[in-house]
Amino acid sequence: MDLQGQNGLLSTYREGFRARGAAAWLIAATLVSFYVVLYWEDRLSGALGGRPLTWLAESLHLRNRWYLYGFLYCVAMSAGGVYYLRRHGNSRYNRTRIAVNVGVQVVFGFTLPFVMPLFEAPEFYFSYFWPLKYDYLYPQTLTQLPTYLSVYAVVGGLVAAPAMAYFFGKRWYCSWVCGCGGLANTFGDPYRHLTSKSTASWRFERVSIHSVLVIAIVTTALVGADFFWGESSPRLHAAATGGPLSVKELYGFVVGSILAGVIGTGLYPLLGPRSWCRNFCPMAALLGLVQKLGRYRITVKPDMCISCGNCSTYCEMGIDVRSYAQRNESFTRASCVGCGMCAHMCPRGVLKLENSSAPRQRAARASLPIVSG
Amino acid sequence: MHVVIIGNGVAGMEAALQIRAEAPDAGVTLVSEESDHFFSRTALMWVHSGQMSHRDIEPLERDAYVRHGFTRVRGRVVSLDAASKRLTLGDGETLDYDKLLIACGSRPRPGPWRGSDLRGVGHFVTLQDLEWYERELHGGPSHAGRPPRPDQHVPSSRPDSPYLPREAAAEARGSLSKRPAVIGGGLIGIEAVEVAHGKGLHPHFFIRDEWFWPMAIDATEAAWITERMRAHGVHVHLQHEVEHLEGDAQGNLTAVVTNHGRFEVDCAVVAIGVVPNTQWLADSGVALDAGGGVVVDAQQRTNVPDVFAAGDCASVRWSTGAQRPEQLWYTGRDQGRVAARAMLGQTGHAATYRRPTWYNSAKLMDIEYTTVGFVNMNQPGEREWFFEERGAVRSTTRIVHTDTGVIGFNLLGRRWDHSVLMEFIDAGRSLAYVLDHLHEAAFDTELVPPLVLPREAR
Repeated sequence: MDLQGQNGLLSTYREGFRARGAAAWLIAATLVSFYVVLYWEDRLSGALGGRPLTWLAESLHLRNRWYLYGFLYCVAMSAGGVYYLRRHGNSRYNRTRIAVNVGVQVVFGFTLPFVMPLFEAPEFYFSYFWPLKYDYLYPQTLTQLPTYLSVYAVVGGLVAAPAMAYFFGKRWYCSWVCGCGGLANTFGDPYRHLTSKSTASWRFERVSIHSVLVIAIVTTALVGADFFWGESSPRLHAAATGGPLSVKELYGFVVGSILAGVIGTGLYPLLGPRSWCRNFCPMAALLGLVQKLGRYRITVKPDMCISCGNCSTYCEMGIDVRSYAQRNESFTRASCVGCGMCAHMCPRGVLKLENSSAPRQRAARASLPIVSG
Repeated sequence: MHVVIIGNGVAGMEAALQIRAEAPDAGVTLVSEESDHFFSRTALMWVHSGQMSHRDIEPLERDAYVRHGFTRVRGRVVSLDAASKRLTLGDGETLDYDKLLIACGSRPRPGPWRGSDLRGVGHFVTLQDLEWYERELHGGPSHAGRPPRPDQHVPSSRPDSPYLPREAAAEARGSLSKRPAVIGGGLIGIEAVEVAHGKGLHPHFFIRDEWFWPMAIDATEAAWITERMRAHGVHVHLQHEVEHLEGDAQGNLTAVVTNHGRFEVDCAVVAIGVVPNTQWLADSGVALDAGGGVVVDAQQRTNVPDVFAAGDCASVRWSTGAQRPEQLWYTGRDQGRVAARAMLGQTGHAATYRRPTWYNSAKLMDIEYTTVGFVNMNQPGEREWFFEERGAVRSTTRIVHTDTGVIGFNLLGRRWDHSVLMEFIDAGRSLAYVLDHLHEAAFDTELVPPLVLPREAR
């Protein structure tokens, strides 16, 4: 039987590893250590007495430690997907979404990039676009890729992804395709309630995520400028790509490694699984702006909310969904990744995710002839 | 102007927010015996299971009282002197008001049986009930913690207060409850059953009537819900009239005895309804109805000048002419808003409470449930149209209609927009029209196959 809502009670706070207990801190410390070694193994080899991940990768006949990471990622995502389905799989939306997301990542995020070089094609990730995959619009990258892949990267990042976000919301990417989102919704599912719902966290998010988007655009522009004019301008070259303190290297270090990896994933058990997506991802920022103008919305059924808060509690993006439901206000938030959990958890079926060209603010039928406060 | 609001539940808090929105300078004092913070009572079951924390069920940020300039008093009001507009609290302190809103809600109806005061017998309505039931089944609160200042019950509480900490049989026995019972086949009853099932237990569910919740659903619909409960391991006992409760020498509950036999249990949630929490008004001169509800008019005014009432404790006039409380979340909210405007001296539409067409929704175990209008089939000339769907989705659709059009919907298994169904009723649409347009009210989540009514079913 197909059920729409949450089936049975979740015991989230009755298990310490999900409620910032000692086990959660231990898991976070382990994950952070893993990412530190993954990113900076070469620099740390003296202290570590070797390169443990590279050694492990080679003994498994994987090309390098990044393929080992891809493999571990697929295992974590698949195991997390099973966990997710056991908890929320009674709904068709949840089942379909997670199956597609895991499938996309296993095929396009791991298998194809591994197999393509065997056929002398470049290693290419069809499931990533600029600005998340920030180097896919660098002229240096585009000129090295075969034409069909260059066209795919440019059209995908600048036209197709935003156009899809206009019609379907950013969820088509963030919750059905993306590797970061996919890991968050599977391996990170035990922690989705930990995302802060405070007004302060919302204020921080709006500044931080749009700042990263601006920085991503500036970085891409500078690296592009260096490609064309770097030889004639040593200062531009130094600032853009030359040396460890150039914007290209700094962006990779701060955004690519620390914010996306160490903090974004390592701190799942403490900050919730979407802190990267919510606060820092430039792709989420860009698609979120398009989403505000587009067709996607969460429709609220009027005067049925009992303010229980299941929707807000389980929103991994920290949106206080309840505050909209209480006001009978259908809404589109830029940060909403359309995971569908608020509608799934609602005991009264108040919420519905929709793509619609109807005006956003559906006239709510108030139970009383009064303006709601 | 100083407004005193007794109770910081949904009616009281909505009234306070409405006053603040319209009268920024008015003094507002909220008195609560139960809790420091406004919380959603409807969500207690999820705190018990560990699905939500105490903080999660509070709709407002914790600084809301300060931000809106509300004075908070944790205490119990014991008497009202309407002539001098003065309240007396249990500790002897007094509180003067210009306008008074009584929004003190309802309290669980106590078990009328011998043994109802045994250790291990409780309810599931207040925060203190929640804490007791958590201790019986889980040994204490979840990792989400205890409510703020849980032990600070009001010292001057009366022994009959529903907000007193309660002893747990699990602690006296030294072992958690393994065989809980729930007495009373209504919404709170099924919630208490669900959380016991969520703990992995197989609770006994004693229901007096022929089927579960006959005031809302019919025998066919109830059979499906009972089937789901039994599939989850719940022992559903229909037509069991409790006779008394048995305890051991230490005063711990050991059994429920019904007209069909004796059942060994170690914890019992009595969920046989709620009554207005208004005993303290007995000598105040405020008129109460037979059930204890504060009688109010359409402006939420009581018979005493400058004293208003809203929410679960207020007895309002129904469209059928009856005078009794409407114990729902959204009616409490709406009454609170109306009371606020009436207290500010407004008149007309904005300050008039008018009961809309009845509607409600819930989730019964894992079955979606929506009801609108009159579905009880208790008037001559009423007919019903019924369709049961058994495909990828299982659902039942029951539409009650008369010669003048449809008057009610009872819908299980799918999600519906009640506001569209209300429009069908209010516009007097015919059954044929409604069947043709039923899809307009569909509110299922995406990817759920739509309900298709086969031609022969029409």
